Amino acid sequence: MKLLTVGAQALGLLLLIPAVALVTLRFEHRNADGPSILFPGGELVSGALYAGPEPDWTFTARVPTVELQLNDPVSSRLIWIVESEGRIYVASGYMSSLLGRLWKHWAVQADDGDGLAVVRMDGTRYERRLVRIAEGPVLDGVAAALQAKYGMPATRQDIEAGNTWIFELAPRGA
Amino acid sequence: MKTTSYLLLCAIVAVVVAIAVRFVPGVSEAIEGTLLAFLSTNAR
Repeated sequence: MKLLTVGAQALGLLLLIPAVALVTLRFEHRNADGPSILFPGGELVSGALYAGPEPDWTFTARVPTVELQLNDPVSSRLIWIVESEGRIYVASGYMSSLLGRLWKHWAVQADDGDGLAVVRMDGTRYERRLVRIAEGPVLDGVAAALQAKYGMPATRQDIEAGNTWIFELAPRGA
Repeated sequence: MKTTSYLLLCAIVAVVVAIAVRFVPGVSEAIEGTLLAFLSTNAR
């Protein structure tokens, strides 16, 4: 019995160390200028703020991930981006499951709130508004772009069923 | 080990780990790198 107790205590300590390390890292990143690969970050501060006409977004084809920051709450994460018919989109998968909605809580916050966001790519920040696209023929092009760029098995039906949420990164004035 | 002593040890270990991650240069990068390597190898 004593051996069992000692074993359980040792196991508890072994689990405690990585758990504390992960919680500390998560805490450490929360106010950082952008996310890391594993942890969300804070407000995107560095980089020139883009001002000018709507860019030609085709350059996003060579950008694997962008840093996306919501204004409310202020937090940022790395996310895939695709361009379709001159507009840019981000996706959030697994949204029909409770785990997915907890994991991708930013999508729920963006959909519920005003959607104001900042996206940083190639060191430049763009002020945008996240607008959820829940249905329509535009989703065919977005799904095809996600499939072609990332191999993501998204379909228009899947998106319209709510399993994957698509947001257009629309201009603020739109 | 008595429960009180064990809980005290856990608290001390937690504080030491948190301080190391926050203030010892390279520790956070090493942990994150290890975790990332693990996930990229095993996650499907």
